[in-house]
Amino acid sequence: MAVCIAVLTKDNCPLYVATDPTEDALKMHFLVHTSIDVIEEKLSSATAANDPRDLYLGQLYPNEDYRIYGYVTNTKIKIVVIETISNPLKDARQVFSQVHSAYISLVCNPFYSPGETITSQPFLQTVTALMRGKAIA
Amino acid sequence: TQSSGSSGINAEYGEEVNKQLETMGYNIGVRLIDDFLAHSPSVTRCSTLEEVAEVLCKQGFKMFLGIVPEVRNWSSAKDEFSLVITENPLAEYVELPPHCQDCLWYSNIICGVIRGALEMVQMDVKCSFVGDTLRGNDSTEIRIKFVKILEDSLPAGED
Repeated sequence: MAVCIAVLTKDNCPLYVATDPTEDALKMHFLVHTSIDVIEEKLSSATAANDPRDLYLGQLYPNEDYRIYGYVTNTKIKIVVIETISNPLKDARQVFSQVHSAYISLVCNPFYSPGETITSQPFLQTVTALMRGKAIA
Repeated sequence: TQSSGSSGINAEYGEEVNKQLETMGYNIGVRLIDDFLAHSPSVTRCSTLEEVAEVLCKQGFKMFLGIVPEVRNWSSAKDEFSLVITENPLAEYVELPPHCQDCLWYSNIICGVIRGALEMVQMDVKCSFVGDTLRGNDSTEIRIKFVKILEDSLPAGED
């Protein structure tokens, strides 16, 4: 079960950060922020030839209570997922691809401008359901 | 929360946009009808409104939008009917922002297309939305009302 899912633009501005109410939101924001550095480092060092277009970055760095995973799309939109060690996610890749799909549907809305904070109900519902560990059809 | 003043502005804005969409649709429709008829050799002149509705849904909509709306709610005088669209390809992925929620008919361009196309085959109709799932209504429904046959080929408004 994820405790935090965050979506960032290519300039690392937060588009959307969802945190589980049981966790301290500020701490989650801080962890997402620190993971940006790690993502940037991975991006600059990754050899473009080897990696697939949608980069699943895997676990970003170790932390005593949490595992933090990163994913970047080919438009440099970054997705960060944080889970607790005690309640690990079954499949982080699937979570990322579902967040990515929800983001794609969001961007297809003509009333949404890329770079705006995300307020779309379907997107929020998808992410909330994912955080609870429910797979989306 | 909006004051009645600003919701008045919204309604005006909505009306303006709806009108623009209808006009755009009209301009498309007057040209589209020729394309449609050229690609549908089996379509003959319709003698009743029922036939018009049938051709409109089963061939017109199918050709250009890939969907077949349902024809429903005929008036007792058989001069009015509804088209009910179950899956609107124009509205896929669309979410109306709050300020458009009550005033904008997102797919109003379709109404213009129908009006323009039918005018070119000498049929004057009124065409408007009565419901849209984007706005939270139960169904996406267009009401089409037959007005009159246009006797000559002069532009509408001339006698």
